[in-house]
Amino acid sequence: MDNLDILKKEWQSKEQELPKVSYNDIYKMLLKKSSSIVKWIFVISVAELLFWIGIQFLNPESNIKIINEMGLKEILAYTNIVHFSIFAVFIFYFYKNFKSIQVTDNTKMLMNNILKTRRTVKYFVYYNVGVFIISSIVVDIFFYTRSEQLYEIMDFASQGIPPESFASVFIISQIVVGVIVLGLLILFYWLIYGLLLRRLNRNYKELEKMED
Amino acid sequence: MNKELEHSFVKQLEENQNIVHKICRLYTHDSDSHNDLFQEITIQLWRAFPKFRGDSKFSTWMYRVSLNTAITLYRKSKRKIQTQDFESISFKIKSEEYDDTIEQQLKLMYGAVKKLNDIDKALVFLYLEDKSYREISDTLGITEVNARVKMNRAKEKLRKILNP
Repeated sequence: MDNLDILKKEWQSKEQELPKVSYNDIYKMLLKKSSSIVKWIFVISVAELLFWIGIQFLNPESNIKIINEMGLKEILAYTNIVHFSIFAVFIFYFYKNFKSIQVTDNTKMLMNNILKTRRTVKYFVYYNVGVFIISSIVVDIFFYTRSEQLYEIMDFASQGIPPESFASVFIISQIVVGVIVLGLLILFYWLIYGLLLRRLNRNYKELEKMED
Repeated sequence: MNKELEHSFVKQLEENQNIVHKICRLYTHDSDSHNDLFQEITIQLWRAFPKFRGDSKFSTWMYRVSLNTAITLYRKSKRKIQTQDFESISFKIKSEEYDDTIEQQLKLMYGAVKKLNDIDKALVFLYLEDKSYREISDTLGITEVNARVKMNRAKEKLRKILNP
């Protein structure tokens, strides 16, 4: 008999030494709120979805004026239809995956469903960051080639910015803002995956490893 | 949620609470965390209870939900881990009943099980609860063959922890 078998024998005879929670105390626990990671993942994911949807509507008046005067209004309207349709697909999959998380599934399936739900949100953010980068590049090139028109619309002359340095100042400031936004996103994800999902990922890999 | 369902659930959990306490003892290091995890498992069991069809025994169903909560859903408390450990409380075996050497051996063994990773701990726990490899593989979602292989590896890890 090895050590584990000795422990097994002892384990089963030690039940009387475990704590006891009364009927009333268990009853009270039913009213308490869960603090599981699924709840946190849900809260963070919904916040991310709302953030990226909300940001679309945070277009200042001055930007709208520039877009209209540069002749981009129609193109923007069409791309928005496609963009929001893609949002709807992401939200549908997020909801579908979230509903599939069942604590009564086996451990591997439960972990897989949680990670799948998070992945949907991760791809949603990748999509948004991708769109942000690509549209910034396209718009910057478009504006750069029409910098004279943009200079007039934005009335930089009254702000004392000379026309010859305007284009480079504009591009550099766009790049700086882009890098800062990307840096914040990377930090946010490092925090989420580092703190919230590290243990889950580790345990899931452990289960996956067994199937190799 | 009707009162009858609540009563039925609380009564069954009260009768089978040892399963939950044993899992809490394995996955936490102090009494506050033990209570936190016990509460979280109770909440998860209660949420899942309306779907409990009675195809299996309540206790069998409890193993799955409780282990899933301990391994996957529970966020470990950031509270400072106290030095008073459960293993020192739970194995205060009366000297007139047990040999000192066995007591010492068990204490070390229990300490070693607690050092295993979450998945190995679940395997060992189910083994200690006398579950078949079929049940272990069903609970964790791995094949029966892998459950056996993994169990042997966990035993080997325990041996290494005990005899470094």
